[in-house]
Amino acid sequence: MSRVPFYLKERLEALRERVLREEFEASKLPPWERVVLTWAVLMTFWVVVSGSFSANNLALGAVVTLIIAAFMRDLLTEDIRRSGNIIEKLIYFAFIYLPQYLVIMAFRLLESNLKVAKNVIFMDINPGIVKIKTDLHSDTGVTILANSITLTPGTLTLDVKKKLDGTYLYIHWIDLETLNREKAGEKIKGDIEEWLKKVFW
Amino acid sequence: MIEIILMLFGGAVMLFGALGILRFPDVYTRLHAATKCDTGGAMGIILALILIMDAPAVVRAKFLVLAFLIAMINPMVSHAIARGAYRYGVKPKVVVDMYAWDNS
Repeated sequence: MSRVPFYLKERLEALRERVLREEFEASKLPPWERVVLTWAVLMTFWVVVSGSFSANNLALGAVVTLIIAAFMRDLLTEDIRRSGNIIEKLIYFAFIYLPQYLVIMAFRLLESNLKVAKNVIFMDINPGIVKIKTDLHSDTGVTILANSITLTPGTLTLDVKKKLDGTYLYIHWIDLETLNREKAGEKIKGDIEEWLKKVFW
Repeated sequence: MIEIILMLFGGAVMLFGALGILRFPDVYTRLHAATKCDTGGAMGIILALILIMDAPAVVRAKFLVLAFLIAMINPMVSHAIARGAYRYGVKPKVVVDMYAWDNS
């Protein structure tokens, strides 16, 4: 890549961006599936917030959330990968992926609280800012990954930069262990990136 | 029994977070203490409140909405504060600073 002349390099980058864009467009969900997904999420929220199961209430909620979902279908589900049947995927997400993620994050949050308490008592800190790379491209995926990194022990996300071959994150690490990008990425991201790559683009 | 343990855990974690804000040297390490300890402590207290309250399950589920909002918003705000402080010019006390390598 470094031997390519500069006038060809620009062309090559434009071409690669187009390939990425077309791949993204091809792997999006079809419109009616997006409406159904948004409707399911909004209906759950309505039932939880209103807090009653009378038929009148449920019918009103269903009609209103269906109208909102028809307008707002791209807001929530733009970045979800297409794979398999939608009912199957919803059941998989609700009963396997989501509990897995919640259990992982709950134990990491507990560990990070104990680690901060240890750091406060002994003051054995060695901070540094490192740069790691992820393969996620979409806004939702990168947002959830950055939030998860902030809640894992000893790391804080400073900034996000999007490049063509992936997304780069700058991490403030309170106990610096390695400067190598691959090793640091493996230590910081853990298995959350693998989990997110199954769902988001 | 479990709810008392969770409540005590939340209070203790909040206390260590406040202690960390006082003891750590600069903005970024203080943000570590603030973000993690506030999120963990709030989660513990919310779980304890769900167990203590006697109400139907739909009413208890409203606490879960609150927990979800705290877990999404708290790291985002800390990220915004850290980035804003760096852009404003607060120098971090660090061993290696790769963010400054790429931006100057």
